[in-house]
Amino acid sequence: MRLHLGGHLNWYDPRKRAWLEVPLAAPVLLSALLQQLHVPPGEVAIVVINGRLAQLEAVMVEDGDRVELYPAIGGG
Amino acid sequence: MGYGSTGKLLRVDLTRGVTSVERFDEAFYRVYPGGKALAAYLLLREIAPHVDPLGPENVLVLVNGLITGAPISTATRFTAAARSPLTGAYGESEAGGFWGPELKLAGWEGIILTGRAAHPVYLAIKNDQVEIRDARHLWGLEPEQAQAAMREEMGDRLTRVLQIGIGGENKVRFAALINDLRHFNGRSGMGAVMGSKNLKGIAVRGTGKYSDYAHDPQAVAEIGRRIAKRVKEHPQSWDLQEKGTPGLVSGLNAGGILPTRNFRQGAFERVDNIKWEVYEKELLSARRSCYACAIRCKREVKVDDRYQVSDAYGGPEYETIGGFGPNCGIDDLQAIAKANELCGRYTLDSISTSAVVAFAMECFEHGLITPEQTNGAEWRFGNAEAMLQIVDWIAHRRGIGDLLAEGSLRAAEVIGGDARYFAMHVKGQELPMHEPRGKVGVGLGYAVNEGGADHLVAYHDPMYANPASITFKAAAELGITEPLPPRELSPRKAEAYARLENWSSFGKVVGFCYFGPAPRSLIQVDEVVEAVRAASGWDFDKEELLRIGERATNLARVFNVREGFSRQDDTLPDRLFQPLESGALAGVGMSREEFETALTALYRVKGWDPETARPTRERLEALNIGWAADLMV
Ligand code: SF4
Repeated sequence: MRLHLGGHLNWYDPRKRAWLEVPLAAPVLLSALLQQLHVPPGEVAIVVINGRLAQLEAVMVEDGDRVELYPAIGGG
Repeated sequence: MGYGSTGKLLRVDLTRGVTSVERFDEAFYRVYPGGKALAAYLLLREIAPHVDPLGPENVLVLVNGLITGAPISTATRFTAAARSPLTGAYGESEAGGFWGPELKLAGWEGIILTGRAAHPVYLAIKNDQVEIRDARHLWGLEPEQAQAAMREEMGDRLTRVLQIGIGGENKVRFAALINDLRHFNGRSGMGAVMGSKNLKGIAVRGTGKYSDYAHDPQAVAEIGRRIAKRVKEHPQSWDLQEKGTPGLVSGLNAGGILPTRNFRQGAFERVDNIKWEVYEKELLSARRSCYACAIRCKREVKVDDRYQVSDAYGGPEYETIGGFGPNCGIDDLQAIAKANELCGRYTLDSISTSAVVAFAMECFEHGLITPEQTNGAEWRFGNAEAMLQIVDWIAHRRGIGDLLAEGSLRAAEVIGGDARYFAMHVKGQELPMHEPRGKVGVGLGYAVNEGGADHLVAYHDPMYANPASITFKAAAELGITEPLPPRELSPRKAEAYARLENWSSFGKVVGFCYFGPAPRSLIQVDEVVEAVRAASGWDFDKEELLRIGERATNLARVFNVREGFSRQDDTLPDRLFQPLESGALAGVGMSREEFETALTALYRVKGWDPETARPTRERLEALNIGWAADLMV
């Protein structure tokens, strides 16, 4: 899965990457994945999965997806 | 021990060619602690109602804030104000950079410019020595050359220069002031006012210290050090440093709130060509800063490719990218950088200029501007060459550029027909690149702001939508008690908006850049209070700071009432009540009914008469400016 941490969200990545390759063996809850990556859900205002808007709560992502996340500033 | 001010204003009568000193005391400054408050006070005192904004009777004031020049990140701003030639209303614009602090260190809190010089002049200030000098040899020069000449003549290369280029000289109604070639008082046409006074610029050198004026300089310095150390530890200030405002493009597009093709659409299909990653790769030559600011959000660009873009005039901010990019249907970042450079060379407000270009393109596509008027060029959305041509024609007032230089409202009245619908303005000032259909509080701000559409009058709705966000927690410190969805246009939204408007206005009074204080950035509300106390010695709490902001807005409103503005001018372009044609919010428009209801609620919160949108005497008295009520009768 390809993940974009837009706006200030890549501040939370230890290596400050704006784009990450996240290998996924099976579909996972995006919110659980974000927890693993230390991105606080409260900072995520916009979720785009494969070009379509989605809600952070309860959305699953899988390998091959392109996921973009943006915060309230410059997003929302 | 000082109270944060030099206590001195420089008065310059350009007609008679004389200068004088005006002093004020601490009691006065406590009520009008600089910036927007002092500027609005001075405009009410100095300008008679209904003067010609481009005539000698208009007065241009340039004033610092209480905190301007303090060694604290983002304490950089000064206010330029006059009756606006674009709107006929209260005109005001803040700029950072180095000029405001330099003026303070020269011992001046501000400058009052009256009259009109018989021929081009510039003002040379070295501490308390002031001279009005001949500028006939500088008139017509581009800012880069004019600045070099003024520095040479001052005999000091550390001189800071605030000036106009040909946009101001030609009195383009949305001409800007530029300092250090890259910091703008962009909005409201202050450059045209300076040009109308035959004033090319103001060169300043100050060798004083802020500590000479502060109440507790050590405490101010300590706060400054503490904040500077934290810039990289706060995600928002870190992001400003990394990407600056150009980083906003992709997120706004994803949210469906990236104004596209003159606000018809909310997303741009070729956005990937203008996003930050491309900017960084193709344009960026350096990261720059303003006076004493550790955030360093300013970009500098240099291009030697499809276009030649000089690095002398900084780099495009988000507003400029959005304006010349998606809003003109253009996806060539190099062309956008070129347009930005032209706005610097000509000293034009890039927001209004790009909006006028988009307006002209839509008129052309509807046959309201014809190929005979464009020398055969196709002024269609997406045509980068046409965009650059239009900017050039506006600055030189060439052909139909002469009409466009009057702003979209005046141009639409002459062109007629649907052109009125295509003119995206409030009170005559063009909309910035933020979409009210996705963040309705921004729309309230566009509507009520005394100077016309502006995006910095309050903090944007998404910042107080999610209770778990950093920005909401900061807004809660300002009394925002409940999270509100960005598209909720309601009386409670109006209430939240009003508090955030007061906070933003307060920043413009004391001289903070919008990217300093929370909720937009890292300086917490209690640290702002601490900084004001250390600088002034006054025992102010945050409620008092909000009141200072509210006082400034009310003074500006009184100015407008005196000029005949009323509730019907606090409105939005019709297009915003129509559905967006594309993007995540396709099909969404604002509701007129909700808008009017929220507006009425907002006036009530502000203590204004909902029918006339005038401040009540009681509210003005509560704000310590009861005298201003007498000006409205
Ligand atoms: S945050 Fe940016 S614009 Fe504001 S003062 Fe600092 S460098 Fe200047």
